[in-house]
Amino acid sequence: MAGQGLGRIDDTVLVREAQRGNRAAFEELVRHYDQAVLRLAMHLTGSEHEAQDIYQDAFLKAYKSVGNFRFECSFYTWIYRIVTNLCLDHLRKKQVRKEDAPVATDPTGEQYDVLEQVPDGRAGANPERDLMRRELGTRISSALEKLTPRERMVFELKHYHGLKLRTVGEVLNTTEETAKNTLFRATQKLRGALADMR
Amino acid sequence: MKCDWVKENILLYVYNELPDDARYELEQHLPRCTDCTAELKSSRKFHALLSELPVEEPSPNLVAASRMRLQEALETTKQGSFWHRLIFDPAAWLRQVRFAPALAAAIFIVGFAGGIATTYKLVGGSGSVSSMISGTPSQPAESSITGIQSISQEPGSNQVTIKYNTVSTQETQGSLNDQRIQQLLLFAARNNYNSGVRMDSVDLLTQQPNDTHVREALVYALRYDSNPGVRLKALDGLGAYVKSDPRVRDAVLEALMNDANPGVRTEALHLLDPVRADSSVRAVLQRLAENDQNQYIKAQARNMLAQLPEFD
Repeated sequence: MAGQGLGRIDDTVLVREAQRGNRAAFEELVRHYDQAVLRLAMHLTGSEHEAQDIYQDAFLKAYKSVGNFRFECSFYTWIYRIVTNLCLDHLRKKQVRKEDAPVATDPTGEQYDVLEQVPDGRAGANPERDLMRRELGTRISSALEKLTPRERMVFELKHYHGLKLRTVGEVLNTTEETAKNTLFRATQKLRGALADMR
Repeated sequence: MKCDWVKENILLYVYNELPDDARYELEQHLPRCTDCTAELKSSRKFHALLSELPVEEPSPNLVAASRMRLQEALETTKQGSFWHRLIFDPAAWLRQVRFAPALAAAIFIVGFAGGIATTYKLVGGSGSVSSMISGTPSQPAESSITGIQSISQEPGSNQVTIKYNTVSTQETQGSLNDQRIQQLLLFAARNNYNSGVRMDSVDLLTQQPNDTHVREALVYALRYDSNPGVRLKALDGLGAYVKSDPRVRDAVLEALMNDANPGVRTEALHLLDPVRADSSVRAVLQRLAENDQNQYIKAQARNMLAQLPEFD
């Protein structure tokens, strides 16, 4: 987010070049935003692989339709709009899949998700640090998953990525007031879900 | 009533989203009300609890792999054409139609004025037409350059001669500080089909890596040039900026991880030595030390890691 003002001057030139078909200019634009896109997608999906797919789809879509970009908003808002739409689709599909997720019953009769028992074998995972955060992280993640995709997105952009509510509204094609109300609702739900941890 | 208002707005206060006047009012109220102070404390605690789920930075490997995958896909992807836009984005088409009368009027006025001015000049016989023909060719637009034919530098000076093709081959001379020369060199570094010419232009550009455009062109050459010699030259020019410019560092890290040429990778590894303590460099070194195919790079990465102080 830092240097966004300065970035925009460069962006305008790069976008115009990309609109003329200059691929190098488009790749430069990608480099301005791709780390933020990956960060958002990774936090939302919890998977590097899925984040990479969202990254790929988002920038290909941007490349194909950069000619339609009319500078009515910043390029930053535009690319975030594409990414959040893809993430919303992903969250909706995930919710449907979760209903069909393989569920087993433990000896005490409690149901649990089989997939959550698969160990995290990703490279770079630090077992000691993970161990300390795992329980807390799992609780927060499952509380976040109970939000509707839109509530999740507003909360994600505001709390974890520090966007202003006005920008969240612009990105999600809605008003600041609606974004504010969605944030209230999401926070209330999360407080309810994590009440025993406070 | 005041407490209800505070409780409704405390979340926005925690997220720093309250306007100044509301913020001031809330801060005035808090010291006088224990209930609202407790609510603020609880909201802040909850905010901190949720922040325990960390937002991980994507690793340099993931960023590099994603960029490469995207580049491959872009090779075969076409941008939406004008006709495509016309068919699939009728809103844009309507927007253009809305401005069409104004545009037509503007073209008419410009055409009319241009016509009058031309007639005036021809009748006046100012001689400007002949001076245009005999004078030095005007600076070519980049889009009219079809390729750079050759680049040479006069020994012991910063005078450069560049032969370039537009519709026909042209030649220009000037100092390395000349903006026109720099533009042609940047163009040659990025676009030329002849790797020898790219090598010459990158070589000359490395003499002025302080310029942002030059540095961008060197990073571009390091990332995308198909010739390892050109990539090595670009690395040479960028070496001094590995410490101070994170974008240069990222590009050198990418070269270290993904370049197909072992010589380029080795040079990149040496350049990164002064910044080996940087977290992104350290992560890449660890990966290379564990499982790089190239034994020399594997051993060097281990050595560099061994020289780092231990962190808890």
